[in-house]
Amino acid sequence: MLTTLATLAGLALAQQTDTTVPVRAGARLEVNNFGGEIAVKTWSKSAVRIAASHSSRDRITIDASDQVVRVKSESRRGPSQVVDYEITVPAAMALALSGVYTDISVEGSQGEITAETVQGTVNVSGGVGTVSLKSVQGDVTLEKARGRIDLSSVNETIKASQISGDISAETVNGDISLAQIESANTEATTVNGDVTYDGTIKDGGRYRFSTHDGDLRVSVPEKANVSVSVSTFNGDFSACFPVQLTGKTKHRFSFTIGSGTARLELESFDGDIRLCRPGQLAKDKDRNENKNHDQDQEEE
Amino acid sequence: MSDTWTNRLSEYLDGDLPDKERAALEAHLPSCADCRATLEQLRRVVARAQALDDRPPAADLWPAIARHVGVVSLNARRARRRVSFTVPQLAAAAVALTLLSAGSAWLLERRQPAQRAAQSNTTPSPILTNAGTYEANPRYAAAVADLERVLAQGRSRLDTATVRVIEKNLGIIDRAIRDAQSALAADPANSYLNLHLAQEMRRKLELLRQAAVLAGART
Repeated sequence: MLTTLATLAGLALAQQTDTTVPVRAGARLEVNNFGGEIAVKTWSKSAVRIAASHSSRDRITIDASDQVVRVKSESRRGPSQVVDYEITVPAAMALALSGVYTDISVEGSQGEITAETVQGTVNVSGGVGTVSLKSVQGDVTLEKARGRIDLSSVNETIKASQISGDISAETVNGDISLAQIESANTEATTVNGDVTYDGTIKDGGRYRFSTHDGDLRVSVPEKANVSVSVSTFNGDFSACFPVQLTGKTKHRFSFTIGSGTARLELESFDGDIRLCRPGQLAKDKDRNENKNHDQDQEEE
Repeated sequence: MSDTWTNRLSEYLDGDLPDKERAALEAHLPSCADCRATLEQLRRVVARAQALDDRPPAADLWPAIARHVGVVSLNARRARRRVSFTVPQLAAAAVALTLLSAGSAWLLERRQPAQRAAQSNTTPSPILTNAGTYEANPRYAAAVADLERVLAQGRSRLDTATVRVIEKNLGIIDRAIRDAQSALAADPANSYLNLHLAQEMRRKLELLRQAAVLAGART
């Protein structure tokens, strides 16, 4: 009974906003949402459709000009609390999405994307040009993007796949996984987590992967031309293929594959560093995880 | 310049090259104008950084701070890295931290005048004060203290879960810093450890700055 009453009360309070505004090519969408969700999809129309579920106390304001469509919510009693947006935009429209207790998702974009939240996930498929995704307390996931990619979290993992372009990924307490990457410039760094890179090593490219307390797994294609420098204080280095070490000092050494025009820097203070061929990393990781799992079970 | 010695100049400058390679590089230098020029530039950068003084904050401060602490585009970071990585503690200890110490808190406070006024009677909460010890680098300690003060003043505006996450992650970074410091105590000339320490110190500043900005926002 109580449940039914609560549901009825909720229905009475719930309100739906559904508005479509025409936009010109080159216009940008800006959405700020304190709590709830921002879900963006694309279509072929030159218009933005904003559908929002919110309390009857809240009011959605849409400010549209030739250059920008701004969406935000207000409440009669101050800031609105929870709004769930479902927004449909032209594929090429640039997106600037932000929130606090907000999950952000984008699907099918062919434009620039900036997405920032504090407590929430960021999950994007698509993006062309500058793609910048940030969360403090949430996973950051990107796929099928190309351009200059900037991914940041603090307390969670970062995953990127099928990416083409320059990549910067940084977290403090989480793993970073980069797969199916086509890049000449990639940097990924964490403090407490593993870093995995499975992608190209292009001639003249620069790649840097570092962690303090975690393992690095990096793929090096068979025909790569790369100078590799390895630094670790308390970890081991291994490779799935033979390498000839040079310049060996106490915690640092290097070696060259092919003509060595690309530069690959690998740093783990307290973890292992492993190089393999593309496609081998996943198997390698699975094997290690199974091994660790078996060890855990034995200890139990 | 694609000389095979190019990437070793940093280690040479740090005194980190094995004797045999150091001798080979010194034999190579007279015949390589590019290497000589690069080496000279690196020496100048070190000298200039060491000669830097604290200065009052400029009007448009954050872009400069951001550039120096690494909150910049990937390309810009890469362009700079060749220099910053050649001089291990230059990046975090000299240029960046001098500017940051002088300006970061000022900038953050400038953005929140109303909040600052309201905070004048507030005792900073100890919960966001970190226990990391950086006596060896007073500029860094001052920069951290400035940001922690701003953060403590705005702490009540942060969600408790966010505060916990920030504390937890500052603790993780502090631990990494302490690990690097301990390792460096045993091997002070190690360029990797110097770079690693600088990176973690810079990361801590960046997280503090990010948290201080969040504290000034509506959370």
